[in-house]
Amino acid sequence: MFIDNFKVESPNVKYTEGEIHSVYNYETTELVHENRNGTYQWIVQPKNVKYEFKTDTHVPKLGVLLVGWGGNNGCTLTGGVIANREGISWATKDKVQQANYFGSLTQASSIRVGSYKGEEIYAPFKSLLPMVNPDDIVFGGWDISNMNLADAMARARVFDIDLQKQLRPYMESMIPLPGIYDPDFIAANQSSRANNVIKGTKKEQIQQVIQDIREFKEKIKVDRVVVLWTANTERYTNVVVGLNDTVENLMAAVDRNEAEISPSTLYAIACILENIPFINGSPQNTFVPGLIEMAIQRNCLIGGDDFKSGQTKMKSVLVDFLVGAGIKPTSIVSYNHLGNNDGMNLSAPQTFRSKEISKSNVVDDMVASNGILYEPGEHPDHVIVIKYVPYVGDSKRAMDEYTSEIFMGGKSTIVMHNTCEDSLLAAPIILDLVLLAELSTRIQLKADGEGKFHSFHPVATILSYLTKAPLVPPGTPVVNALSKQRAMLENIMRACVGLAPENNMILEYK
Amino acid sequence: MFIENFKVESPNVKYNENEIHSVYNYETTELVHENRDGKYQWIVKPKTVKYEFMTHTHVPKLGVMLVGWGGNNGSTLTGGVIANREGISWATKDKVQQANYFGSLTQASSIRVGSYNGEEIYAPFKSLLPMVNPEDIVFGGWDISNLNLADAMARARVFDIDLQKQLRPYMESLVPLPGIFDPDFIAANQGSRANNVIKGTKKEQIQQVIKDIKEFKEKNNIDRIVVLWTANTERYSNVVVGLNDTMENLMAAVDRNEAEISPSTLYAIACILENIPFINGSPQNTFVPGLIEMAIQRNSLIGGDDFKSGQTKMKSVLVDFLVGAGIKPTSIVSYNHLGNNDGMNLSAPQTFRSKEISKSNVVDDMVASNGILYGPGEHPDHVVVIKYVPYVGDSKRAMDEYTSEIFMGGKSTIVLHNTCEDSLLAAPIILDLVLLAELSTRIQLKADGEGKFHSFHPVATILSYLSKAPLVPPGTPVVNALSKQRAMLENILRACVGLAPENNMILEYK
Repeated sequence: MFIDNFKVESPNVKYTEGEIHSVYNYETTELVHENRNGTYQWIVQPKNVKYEFKTDTHVPKLGVLLVGWGGNNGCTLTGGVIANREGISWATKDKVQQANYFGSLTQASSIRVGSYKGEEIYAPFKSLLPMVNPDDIVFGGWDISNMNLADAMARARVFDIDLQKQLRPYMESMIPLPGIYDPDFIAANQSSRANNVIKGTKKEQIQQVIQDIREFKEKIKVDRVVVLWTANTERYTNVVVGLNDTVENLMAAVDRNEAEISPSTLYAIACILENIPFINGSPQNTFVPGLIEMAIQRNCLIGGDDFKSGQTKMKSVLVDFLVGAGIKPTSIVSYNHLGNNDGMNLSAPQTFRSKEISKSNVVDDMVASNGILYEPGEHPDHVIVIKYVPYVGDSKRAMDEYTSEIFMGGKSTIVMHNTCEDSLLAAPIILDLVLLAELSTRIQLKADGEGKFHSFHPVATILSYLTKAPLVPPGTPVVNALSKQRAMLENIMRACVGLAPENNMILEYK
Repeated sequence: MFIENFKVESPNVKYNENEIHSVYNYETTELVHENRDGKYQWIVKPKTVKYEFMTHTHVPKLGVMLVGWGGNNGSTLTGGVIANREGISWATKDKVQQANYFGSLTQASSIRVGSYNGEEIYAPFKSLLPMVNPEDIVFGGWDISNLNLADAMARARVFDIDLQKQLRPYMESLVPLPGIFDPDFIAANQGSRANNVIKGTKKEQIQQVIKDIKEFKEKNNIDRIVVLWTANTERYSNVVVGLNDTMENLMAAVDRNEAEISPSTLYAIACILENIPFINGSPQNTFVPGLIEMAIQRNSLIGGDDFKSGQTKMKSVLVDFLVGAGIKPTSIVSYNHLGNNDGMNLSAPQTFRSKEISKSNVVDDMVASNGILYGPGEHPDHVVVIKYVPYVGDSKRAMDEYTSEIFMGGKSTIVLHNTCEDSLLAAPIILDLVLLAELSTRIQLKADGEGKFHSFHPVATILSYLSKAPLVPPGTPVVNALSKQRAMLENILRACVGLAPENNMILEYK
């Protein structure tokens, strides 16, 4: 049975006027390697840490500023939210299609709440904690192309034509602010688009972005702003000692107008200076060490990298399943072709390299977790190819071949072909990222022994379900397996309302 | 880092001479639907139930009797275990191949134990609790074909020829006992194989099976036996009131030599009368209501149905992933072709029907869990085709097409092709089933409020990870999503050694 919402009643949670206060027993383990009875043994010591969580229940009016607002993702997300808000539907040859939020973890997925009279009860994911309603979001942003959002939507060739017609009146008046453009960081083929750029030195560009954020906030009367990069993939920035390795060096480099500071890093700096959450949806290393240091110092949320929406999402499911079943993937080859602007930009080797890196590391943790299948240092062959094929437009094609070793020398070959509109997968991911980032800033926690409440570490690991290359605080394990990432997010939110993690044991029936 | 084994040190667990005694706080929820402030609300009440677990650590000498021992699965499992035990390797054009247990959850997969100096630590799944070493298993069984296991291995065309040569001396002397043959329950094309059958009435056949089990146990000095059906898929039995709906009716029907009692049910009756665990690896409804009643009354373990090894295993991963991401599968079409004896038997419509049922129900629970995507009663179109193609032998081909609705009317089409040797996937599953069933009989539990320790419910739900159509006690929810099934099993074993369920939160880094 499916219920719409619920309240938790327990001595461990208190719903007050402005907040939800929960007490939570976090169960973890400590490992020691010690001599016992003459031999060294690994000892696991279960450990219980008491946490308190405080979630501010006042849901702010949220403004979302997208870098690359006029791109396929930007106009698709904006149009999609408008369509849902206005209850727009359109006729296709198959049926009357309603607007929806399919593909969004927060809006369209569910969690198990428990059993009622022997029946399993589920509720929407978003019913766990109060979150921003997407229909209430105000969108804005920057783009190096000055096309209004309605024309951008047409240029994107994503939405059904009848839907585009209905959306046009709402989107014609939305015009992106001039964006930061640096031809050295993206493909040369993007220059013909760049007619809407912020001039001046890098320092001046940062100041302009800050001013844009402030004016947006004031004009629209939003309580909170989140900024997200969904613009072109950039080439990697060189990380150089003395240039961008510390916050001082980075800011000094900005003052010197150093060439190696990328536009995405400039936007991030602006946001961190204003304590605005910034999320990177592309694979490049926006978050150079100096920037991460800055975010930590100013306790400003950063998250990323690279939306995990399609082929890599599937990979982080499949490889986890195979290795978890004791089967050994030995060769993974992934081909993609697409014809949208992302594809055109990625046809340049240096921008493709950013993507190749973010897509290739996704199996590393799962391989490292199983020393029966893989020797130290051993890993599957893993190759990624992305080609630009204008004809297929936004309808990305992914073809994967997974070769695995099974019992007694046997081989399993899995071949996958996946077709779907790239932006229709990515847009709901962007929605989830901004909603979860916003929610994250309303949660405070305190472990037993800590003096006062504090927010999560500014590097937001709970966003990892949505990213190909999850950015994590220094020293934190990187987890790519999708089911683990989903469990992490769900269980943390459950803790905030005094619910234990989902353990799947259904012991009462055994 | 990967460690070989570990011990848990905690006030909640005690390792004695003969047993591991753990105290475990099971966290669950209770739901009520009540009037609060004038309207009906769903209230979730977290509930902690204290359990104690006692696991006998003395690992018995295990005998495994397979029904269909001379089939592809039976000979492959037997040969595979011998090869591992003897350290057999064989040269192929690519490399020297070592014997292994890839594809076995218990032998080749891992669990996360914790962190050590910031590094993630993993250990083998089997290190959780003492389990039988596969190499100490004594195999035996029945088959309607009298071929010795070495010749059966050759007939199966599964193992590399060089491996077969090395295994022959070990397997030539292994000869299956005569089996129960009833041509009405399997394809007519199996008739030519049946030269090794138990004669007599059904009652007499049961007695013979019981005698076989007793002799096998005594001859081989075995402490414990598990019987598993890996013979032909039978047609469904009609469940008829007065015939097989209660234990009395079932036994009376056996006495009357009723035609509708299948061979697999006869074997199961024999096992339950002897309190021997019985597992059904095929899709037919061996466990008619009367048989389940009998197993519960005599507290004898039963499990099943139908090994989940390939296409359906993938499906229970994929559909769970898609629905969990808020994406809506609307059409699932699965084609299979294979050329082994299983395929030949399944080419008869009545036996195929058993398979069709077990393969089709696998998405039901995942669909029911998400009321945002699916209206009440709505479910994806789901078609399963299995064809017999002699040429491909044991190398089963699976081709799947998943169509899903994504954001705003978009569609995603995933097409999968999978090639691999069917028996090399199934044999490790059989190993897992018998090892986990045996382990399960050594675990006793007691919930707070219960007077004494008792075993798990005889219908062994913890085996569900390994079955397409998990048999569950009446009133228990059926869970097919693979990651949930794996979590269920792992977390129960963790509870037995005083470890909390894996919550994936890694809160200490946040």
